[in-house]
Amino acid sequence: MTKSRRRRISAIVRYTVLTVWALIAFFPIYWIVATSFKIDTQWFAWPPVYVPNPPTLANYLNVWLGKEEYTTTQYAISSQKPLYSLRNSIVIATTSTLLAVVFGSVIAYGVSRYRILSDARMFQLLMLRMIPPIVVVAPLSLYYSALGLLDTMSGLILIYFVTSLPYAVWMAKSFIDEVPREIEQAAELLGASRWRTIFEIVLPLVRSGLVATFLFILILTWSEYLLAFILTKTEVTTLPIELSKYQGSTEGRVYGRQAALAVGITVPLMIVGLAIRRHLARGFSFGMVRR
Amino acid sequence: MTTLAEISAADRSQAASPREVSRARAVRRFRWSILAPLIALFAFVVVPVLFLQLYFSFHQWTVYLGTWWDAEFVGLDLFQEVFTDPRFGWAVVRSLVFSIGSTVGCFVIGFALAYLMHKPFRGQAVYYILFILPMLTVPIVVAYTAEMMLYQSGPVNDVISRITGIEFKPAWLTNPNFALTAVMLLEIWNWTPFSFIIMLAGLSAIPKEPIEAAEILGASRWRIFWEVQLPLLRPVIMLALVLRFLEAMAEFPKTWALFQGGPGSATETLPVYIFLTTWQYFQVSKGAAMCYLVMMLMIAIVLVAIKLLQREKRALDAMYAKPAERA
Repeated sequence: MTKSRRRRISAIVRYTVLTVWALIAFFPIYWIVATSFKIDTQWFAWPPVYVPNPPTLANYLNVWLGKEEYTTTQYAISSQKPLYSLRNSIVIATTSTLLAVVFGSVIAYGVSRYRILSDARMFQLLMLRMIPPIVVVAPLSLYYSALGLLDTMSGLILIYFVTSLPYAVWMAKSFIDEVPREIEQAAELLGASRWRTIFEIVLPLVRSGLVATFLFILILTWSEYLLAFILTKTEVTTLPIELSKYQGSTEGRVYGRQAALAVGITVPLMIVGLAIRRHLARGFSFGMVRR
Repeated sequence: MTTLAEISAADRSQAASPREVSRARAVRRFRWSILAPLIALFAFVVVPVLFLQLYFSFHQWTVYLGTWWDAEFVGLDLFQEVFTDPRFGWAVVRSLVFSIGSTVGCFVIGFALAYLMHKPFRGQAVYYILFILPMLTVPIVVAYTAEMMLYQSGPVNDVISRITGIEFKPAWLTNPNFALTAVMLLEIWNWTPFSFIIMLAGLSAIPKEPIEAAEILGASRWRIFWEVQLPLLRPVIMLALVLRFLEAMAEFPKTWALFQGGPGSATETLPVYIFLTTWQYFQVSKGAAMCYLVMMLMIAIVLVAIKLLQREKRALDAMYAKPAERA
């Protein structure tokens, strides 16, 4: 009897604590979504407006489609182009991530089967990720301006490729390590070349792992701010930069518009993240923690 | 004494057949062709950048000087300038306070949540999804959401006032005493999911036998936690702390977008101060010297971290290898 009672108390404690944190975790996300549906008088009203009333699509129409006819106040936005940055973001994030996964998985295979990098070298590779980018970005921007890579998509793709390579190698290796070697030995006996073994046998076997790696790195490159902030000026803008530049010409705080833009940036990320939620721990720990 | 096996092995390597020689050569070529892109990246991206950084920390250069190879050699002057700059010292202190504070915060909350969730219960999947959402928001979006929520009569203060019944109105964004705390709380909100998923993965991977044995022997849950579970979790705990700390040292978007180092210099962490020096005051050389020092500091920290991680990874690999052997 006492035992069942204690169990019930512990269940109550558990649900209370978890629910409190769930509210804390979810409230800001709710707030930005709610703000994106508010009319302009409710953006920073007192007392705060918790439920947009009446809800409006004006913010989305204005930010993403450039329509201004729905609001009473004119919030002309200074020369911003979210759709253009959306295209930039998609091209930059997918290209650099794809490069990282392709090269990373081949390197990971080499490390796993041929030990082309020793354990110590593998950890040194992590330094590309562990040193804060701010300490190298100044010389990098000068180097880029000498090469003509400043403010270009190729420049950002290159540097994102470099910084996400450690994640790609480590995460892909954790998947490849789980593939039994007998299959490759059989392939070798049947006369397959080493490259064919990689691309036609091993990598297809870890396909779902590589997709997870790809999506995981996509999350990181999609939301990267500092490098894009410094290495681009006017020609290229990614979505996070677009958001940080987004201000009204007469009024600095255009919360509803910013919220509509922010929701647009975050929703794809959340979909991708939730799709690979079982692999997130592996990704963030460089494959050291598995489930 | 040499054993028979060793002799025959030595024999074989001396009298390698042409076929084996060509095979070894093919393997070597294969290894180098995999390594080549990596080496190229280091040679054409990493090394030139590090060289430039070194160059600028010994040469006085500003953007007004046109070509940067005209810069004057000044020896260690720039390093001296950085060392005697009290703002730099404070930036180091602030960065450490911010990183340690947010790392501990993330870890304590994340571990507590993971501990409450590592056994199955109804609604687990829903809580899991809600808990990882903050990690899946873009940092710059977190900054702007915070701006929309933390102004003095904003929803956060309003909700707290309503719950507690007290007038709760700290000016999070303009009071220098609260600003760094505000960024720290944001970082904790943003990255608690990281500690949570790592600890949850760790908790669900530790073997059940020792815990069951302790239960049979009548140990209290408290003792089981401290004396059985915690030691088994050490590698995962180290991993969660070290990786989070390193990421926090590099935090820039939230601090910058919300405060630009202000109010006053309350949120001037290392990344922010480096950014201000280089891109607002245009002291490229001083900035480079600062970067060089910070890089050395970070490399020292990372080397310690890597030593720790290397040890813990062996422990983790052993842990993951065991169930496979048993099966």
